[in-house]
Amino acid sequence: MAVTLFIIRKLGGAIATMLTVSLLVFLALEVNVADVAVKVLGQFSTDAQRATWLAANGYNDPVVLRYLRWLGAFVTGDWGTSTYYRTEIASLIPGRLAASGILAGGALLVIIPVGLIAGVLAGMRPGSLLDRLVSLVSVLTTSIPDFASAVFLSAVFVFWLKWLPGASTMLSGFSISEIVLPVLVLALYSTGYLARVTRASMIDVMGTHYVRTARLKGASPTRIVLRHALRNALITPVTVIMLQFPWLLSGVIVVEVFYAYKGFGTLLYDAALNSDIYLVEACAMVSVLVVVATQILSDLAYSWLNPRVSLADAAMGRG
Amino acid sequence: MIELKTNSGAPLHRDVADLCERVRSGAIDRRGFLRATAWLGVSMASAGAFLGMGEPAFAQDEAPVDGGTLRFACQIQELTDPMLTSWIEASNLFRNSLEFLTYVDANNVTHPYLAKSWTPSGDLKVWDFDLDERATWSNGDALTPEDVIFNIQRWIAPESQSSNKTAFAAIESVEKTGDHSFRITLSRAVSSLPEQLYSYTCPILHRNFETDGANWPAKPVGTGPYGLVTYEVGRQATFKKRTDYWGTPAHLDEIHYIDLGTDITTHLAALASGQVDILYRTTIAEYDLMKSLPNVQVLSGRAANTLVMRMQVDQKPFDDIRVRQAVLLAADNQQMLDIAYRGEGDIAGNYHVSPTQADYFPLEPIPRDVAKAKALLAEAGYADGIDLEITLGNTQGKWEQDTAQVLQQNLAEAGIRLALNVLPASQYWPVWDKVPFGLTFWAHRPLGSMTLDLAYRSGGAWNESHFASPEFDAALDKAMAVVDPSERPKAMRGVETILRDAAVMVQAYWPSRFTAAAQTVRGFELHPADYFRMDGVWLAKA
Repeated sequence: MAVTLFIIRKLGGAIATMLTVSLLVFLALEVNVADVAVKVLGQFSTDAQRATWLAANGYNDPVVLRYLRWLGAFVTGDWGTSTYYRTEIASLIPGRLAASGILAGGALLVIIPVGLIAGVLAGMRPGSLLDRLVSLVSVLTTSIPDFASAVFLSAVFVFWLKWLPGASTMLSGFSISEIVLPVLVLALYSTGYLARVTRASMIDVMGTHYVRTARLKGASPTRIVLRHALRNALITPVTVIMLQFPWLLSGVIVVEVFYAYKGFGTLLYDAALNSDIYLVEACAMVSVLVVVATQILSDLAYSWLNPRVSLADAAMGRG
Repeated sequence: MIELKTNSGAPLHRDVADLCERVRSGAIDRRGFLRATAWLGVSMASAGAFLGMGEPAFAQDEAPVDGGTLRFACQIQELTDPMLTSWIEASNLFRNSLEFLTYVDANNVTHPYLAKSWTPSGDLKVWDFDLDERATWSNGDALTPEDVIFNIQRWIAPESQSSNKTAFAAIESVEKTGDHSFRITLSRAVSSLPEQLYSYTCPILHRNFETDGANWPAKPVGTGPYGLVTYEVGRQATFKKRTDYWGTPAHLDEIHYIDLGTDITTHLAALASGQVDILYRTTIAEYDLMKSLPNVQVLSGRAANTLVMRMQVDQKPFDDIRVRQAVLLAADNQQMLDIAYRGEGDIAGNYHVSPTQADYFPLEPIPRDVAKAKALLAEAGYADGIDLEITLGNTQGKWEQDTAQVLQQNLAEAGIRLALNVLPASQYWPVWDKVPFGLTFWAHRPLGSMTLDLAYRSGGAWNESHFASPEFDAALDKAMAVVDPSERPKAMRGVETILRDAAVMVQAYWPSRFTAAAQTVRGFELHPADYFRMDGVWLAKA
């Protein structure tokens, strides 16, 4: 019951968020009607052609009516045609989203185990050599922006060692060698961040009274970590991991563009560069959907890890 | 004595004898002779024999090998209606499947293509063309004069939005004169008509293009050596060799055009790791990197492409010629070349005609004079200096912005505070002809008069500076009617002077062009206009 209530409340919030964003996106991109006609028909169109197109597509109607019509079309899956790609947007996005999903999945496969293990090991013995090493590497990797590490990794693995391909177009299907570099760039930054968060969380938990009690009772270090500390120490890292999803899907534009990886990030980039307004609108809405969906999942995972967090309270907005 | 012949078998144009005399006496060079006789319909084989050099051909040391797939890195842009294409890069895709009436090679010599011959009237106003009877479309139809008439009428129609409308404004009529022949009648003499027919917006489409939906990639009917197999904007386009091609078959089995985005470092990384065989273009910024790559050949060349920082002469404050003159006098063209392009190119003199163009006349340079620029500004009412903004899009690379930044520093010395409005490349093209002060990259054209006709003739569709001068138009008309290569620069002297003195633009230098390819790529010519024909390209065994 609590879970159902929680989900209903969260979905309500998600819908309100999406409606707000949709209004902002619509106002930003479609309020200047003349621009829309130029963007859709191209710079070579004549004024007469633009006027005819605007009239035929209902652009002479009031803004509110146009917004509601646009929203209705969007909800029913009619996302329009991309002026740059010359194809239906609804057919364009799933493939690109899946491609970014694969990239994000690959990155998470590196980020989660490496980040968690490094963070836990460092947090178990603060001040040890291992802890200092993990902290140093984490600070280093999180300090380098992705565009810089992309250039650096390409210089080493493509131009110097010649081990890996320089572009990740995946034109001949999925290729492990092509995905290595973009995954590494994404993982470099996030793994260090996750390791630092996990380490801090682990240090907190290792200092709690129940861990001290377990230690005094003579429990082995392995048992203390696995039975008592780990689950509680994971609460913050899991939130961090969940926040990586929307970032990995729509925030990896730099990495996707650098490696010519045809994912959701490059789609959004090309759409913005080419003033493809319907595609920008659709990408923005999909991005919001991904963000709110991962937030709900994050809350569910949070309550599973920490039973003290009541979904019923969360559903009612308490606590 | 070897006799010259026309491709059509028609008598030689009256100017040919004069050209022969002039090449014998050394008044014109061999290249100029070949170019001019080609316009007049003379066969290149006979012209080459006349000069004792055989038919000009690509120099090749190895026998070409057939087969293989070449991977070409370039942007995959939309090609819906080829006559509306505004990017040469896009035209290189349909160049594999669509052909032109004539072909202009890398030396600017015009050759027969779909038109096997042409014969101009004595006054150069009536041109009779013969189509190659062998030419057929990929759907089995024969190429007919109706196809050509359909295309030319679309270019020049009142509602046409193609740049061809201005380029071919002199065409009065086009009519069928036989099963394989047609006639173009002009309102004024244009000697370079055959050369102009190879402009990138002039591929010949099938006569049913519009009834078939006016979307070429959706129904890619063509006469060319390759057929379009797949096409996805922003991703990839593949062409496959046609076994039923009417002309000389191409060497490569397939060509894959791959979109690697806009970052040229990625293009070079893909070339270095063997993912692609050739790049569309590199810039001066990557020069050291590509030189350092093993198994990569660097191709470079000079051409009449340039950056034009033009001012709209009907917009404030540029409607006052003193302001424009001040900008030109304060600009340091040599410094822009040296700093923004590392000196890899030729200095220019603000009149948009290049030393690589056959009709170039070298005007006496006007030296930089900051004091005079200040005085002109004060005279124009800007004694305390003036705020200007230039819009640019780095459409060819960051060196465009570097050039504008040097100009910014130059102008500051004269009290002109220049702000840079830098847009993404794709957002620059929608406004390139609208902003009062803009930096635009202009592609190469074989003749200066062709560029000036497109860019500065009164009321032209691509006249981004809004320059309008009946005197200039008349002088240009006169220059465009001259056939004799040695007379053309003389005729252009007046044209260039009018334009330069009108202070329409800062056109600082002619940048050299670069690209990179794998060592195995053979037969690829860095065409000065970036018109890359792929039927002569082949891959050597690695």
